[in-house]
Amino acid sequence: MPVIEDVIEFPSVEWFDFLCDHSREEPEIYEALGFANFRLAVEITRESGNPRQFGIFFDGYDVISYGELADGSTFDPEAVVSGSIETWREMANNILANGMADSSHTLNALSIADTPLRVYSSDPLGKDKFFRYAETIQTLFDATSRQREGTVVA
Amino acid sequence: MSTNRVDLDYLERAKVGNFDLDWLKNCKSEWGVRAKPSKVGLTLRDISIGSYGQIPDHPERRTMAPRGCDIDGELPDIGYSINSKNEVWAENVMELYEEAVSRQWSATRDIAWSELPELDRDLEHAMCQFATLLSEIEMLASDFPAKWLWRINHDFLEAKMFLCTQIMDEARHSEVFRKRALAGGGGLGKAIPIVEKFLQLVLDAKNYDEGSALMHLLAEGLVLSVFRAGELLAPSPVEKRIFRLCMQDEARHVAYGTMHLRYRLEREPALASDFHDYLDRGEEIIAVMFTTPEVVEPAAILAAGSLKAAEEIGLAASDILRTRVIEEYLSRCDRAGLPRRGKMKLPESILSGTSGGAQGLLRQSA
Repeated sequence: MPVIEDVIEFPSVEWFDFLCDHSREEPEIYEALGFANFRLAVEITRESGNPRQFGIFFDGYDVISYGELADGSTFDPEAVVSGSIETWREMANNILANGMADSSHTLNALSIADTPLRVYSSDPLGKDKFFRYAETIQTLFDATSRQREGTVVA
Repeated sequence: MSTNRVDLDYLERAKVGNFDLDWLKNCKSEWGVRAKPSKVGLTLRDISIGSYGQIPDHPERRTMAPRGCDIDGELPDIGYSINSKNEVWAENVMELYEEAVSRQWSATRDIAWSELPELDRDLEHAMCQFATLLSEIEMLASDFPAKWLWRINHDFLEAKMFLCTQIMDEARHSEVFRKRALAGGGGLGKAIPIVEKFLQLVLDAKNYDEGSALMHLLAEGLVLSVFRAGELLAPSPVEKRIFRLCMQDEARHVAYGTMHLRYRLEREPALASDFHDYLDRGEEIIAVMFTTPEVVEPAAILAAGSLKAAEEIGLAASDILRTRVIEEYLSRCDRAGLPRRGKMKLPESILSGTSGGAQGLLRQSA
């Protein structure tokens, strides 16, 4: 019987809400990784139009979705991880296919050379937080694989 | 006269319930100061209240008595030599301690050693050489704080506790890289004099300032960048996880080093020239490492994926790594309030592509 494919829109508030909501379903995983304190913005650039940013707050063992950040948002991210919509979609589909990011598609692997992802911050310690909490952040993004079987990202 | 008199009469009185209770009736410390746990539990920040929460810039005592307690008579002088808060403090030190305790991992349990693949001989050699180097240098970051811990005044306990977590972190890093060298069949590689020379420079530092700048800011900053690049260098998912876990720990140590130096210089800006001198000496040795085959070539082979591929692309990947390492270090120096851009006194070929030397800074400004 063919698997019915759900299409989940990326980027979307629902997408980030799903990841953060899922973290509450597996609290023991986040507790084992240890707590974090980090305001991260995920930036999606497009060929046309302004980049879109979504806020995620790692607050202790909780992960809270701040939705899409509008101009003048008070979210004030400590670091931004930025990449093209194609890169983010490829990463998400890789996680869906493998259950977790393979070693070429982790956030750190994709951002090592500043391309295709780039981590930036006006504060080097903010940027370093992206590495201090690498396992927690990766675990959050790997929750993409908890979508229904057959889901594709578009 | 010795004060170590055994009071046998007290023992007799107490046996029949005739207690002294002076500690109960006449304690002058605070009653009713009640710390409330925050979201993740009862943290150091949460208990930093009342007189306990007041951390003196220059403690009067040289004892192990906790801040805020009632001191009974003359306590012996323990002999601390670091008695100014700005010598060891950082604004983020309490949070870093809590985070370190919360994010511990095990090199025995958390690495999938049984999934380590058999590698091509050259790759295995390169990984083992790299692991040998890292195992050698990581323990420095245990030895250095351990050397200074007992000299730090006990009123700065939170800084001492953070350094204890660093000692444990770095012991684990030494452990995990030794295990990696010995788990893949390649065994340990070569130890080289230039590396030991840098380690000696840090251990022989004449004060905590010098050693901390060399270790927390320079050495650990460089190693953090190397761990970050570990995902690129690692030949299998096993090493990738090793590098990622080490990277998390190392970033905490760098966060302490950067913010400690900032705290120090904000209060004693005249010390900046001393710190520039310390870093000049350290950078000179690090620069030699950038031209040492045992350091450069394993990374080049791991990045390229094979000796043959590395011979074809030369040091292209290593050059990217070197440039990144230097730029990230310079950014942290800026954050610490000790700008080093344009001040690094290293050969232009080492600094090319960076803003470390005067030429590079001019080029980037243009």
